[in-house]
Amino acid sequence: MKCEEFEAIGLDAERDVSLSEAERAAAREHVNSCSRCAALQDSWLAAGTELRALADATRAREAPARVEMRLRQEFRTQHHTFKARRAAVIAGWALAAAAVLVGVVSWNNWRTNQHPGVASNGAQTNPGDLTAGSGGAKQQAPGQDESANSETLLADNELGDFTLLPGALPFDTDDTAIMRVRMQRGALGALGLPVSEENANDWIQVDLLVGDDGLPQAVRLPQEN
Amino acid sequence: MRIAEPERDDVLLRRAARGDEEAFTLLYRRHQAAMYRFALRMTGNNWAAEEIVQDVFMTLMRQPKKYDASRGTIGAFLYGIARNRVMKYMERLPREVALEEKNEDGTGSGIVLQDNATPAAWAEKRERVEQIRAAVLELPAEFREAVVLCELEEMSYEEAATMAGCPIGTIRSRLHRGRALLMAKLEMLRDLPRRASAVR
Repeated sequence: MKCEEFEAIGLDAERDVSLSEAERAAAREHVNSCSRCAALQDSWLAAGTELRALADATRAREAPARVEMRLRQEFRTQHHTFKARRAAVIAGWALAAAAVLVGVVSWNNWRTNQHPGVASNGAQTNPGDLTAGSGGAKQQAPGQDESANSETLLADNELGDFTLLPGALPFDTDDTAIMRVRMQRGALGALGLPVSEENANDWIQVDLLVGDDGLPQAVRLPQEN
Repeated sequence: MRIAEPERDDVLLRRAARGDEEAFTLLYRRHQAAMYRFALRMTGNNWAAEEIVQDVFMTLMRQPKKYDASRGTIGAFLYGIARNRVMKYMERLPREVALEEKNEDGTGSGIVLQDNATPAAWAEKRERVEQIRAAVLELPAEFREAVVLCELEEMSYEEAATMAGCPIGTIRSRLHRGRALLMAKLEMLRDLPRRASAVR
């Protein structure tokens, strides 16, 4: 081994695991035969000793406790913020879903109130048949499709279809309300309307126009579609 | 010795990423001293070392997915971050004016000396260690890093090469040159008192 080689790899040959045993032996041999490299190695070892003293002096050093405190605080803040943000997002979506649901239900209710389907009940009467089962009333054909039998009310403001009950005076429609009721045809007699005894037990659905005093003023039988 | 599964670094990191503070604290306590010593030995500044350690673990906390287990241990990953922070610190160093540092016990420089028989011996050793520290800090960053990793952190050349992200030959060469500069500096410091006494 030459001096240049020794300076490059031989000085720390004992520690350098990347060197082969032969290279270490060559380094040992060279330092025994070269006084200059021996002096260099002594100086090297002395520097190593000095550095170890510095290493020993700082070996026990650790980061101050405040660093750990700060990091833990930051950790809590970060993860709590993350959780809060996630909860806020979930809550936002839940609120939006609830709002949509409420909207759909409200719209559905409004629509049902605007165009209510008539429950399938027994005998039905032709629109405007206020004789309520008199001979002229048309009875529904048996076996007819139920959907075709559905009745709808006219719009609330179309009050022209109502027939004043006997004894009722013309009224102001602002203070009235339409009430849909299901009753036996015979009950129309109590309102002063003529009722055929043959159909008196039939259940029918009628719209009553109720005045602000709570008494029915007019009556309407729902029309067929 | 094999570390139990729940206490392995990568397991702790996964737990920490899910918000487990205890796992993060355990990870911190396991690695903070090595990071702090490395930063302190590289910068020679307590405050900078503290800031670097904080930055390192802040990065780990905020970006745990940056760690790739296939590329090495968490220790090596943290060293990598610390190394970057140290280099950044040293880049901006000329623009900063260091204040005189004091330890918590009122002494300076971050060096703690123990078991010195007499105050005179304590003072002498302290002065010598201070000179070495100053000499190390005067080395160019790359040489200093090799000296710190191989001599002060007592890593093998292979480990130091991994940490520094360079081949073993480069580490060996840097260490060689760093040590040569250090020896020259220390020789000069040793000679100063002799020359002074000879003049008298």
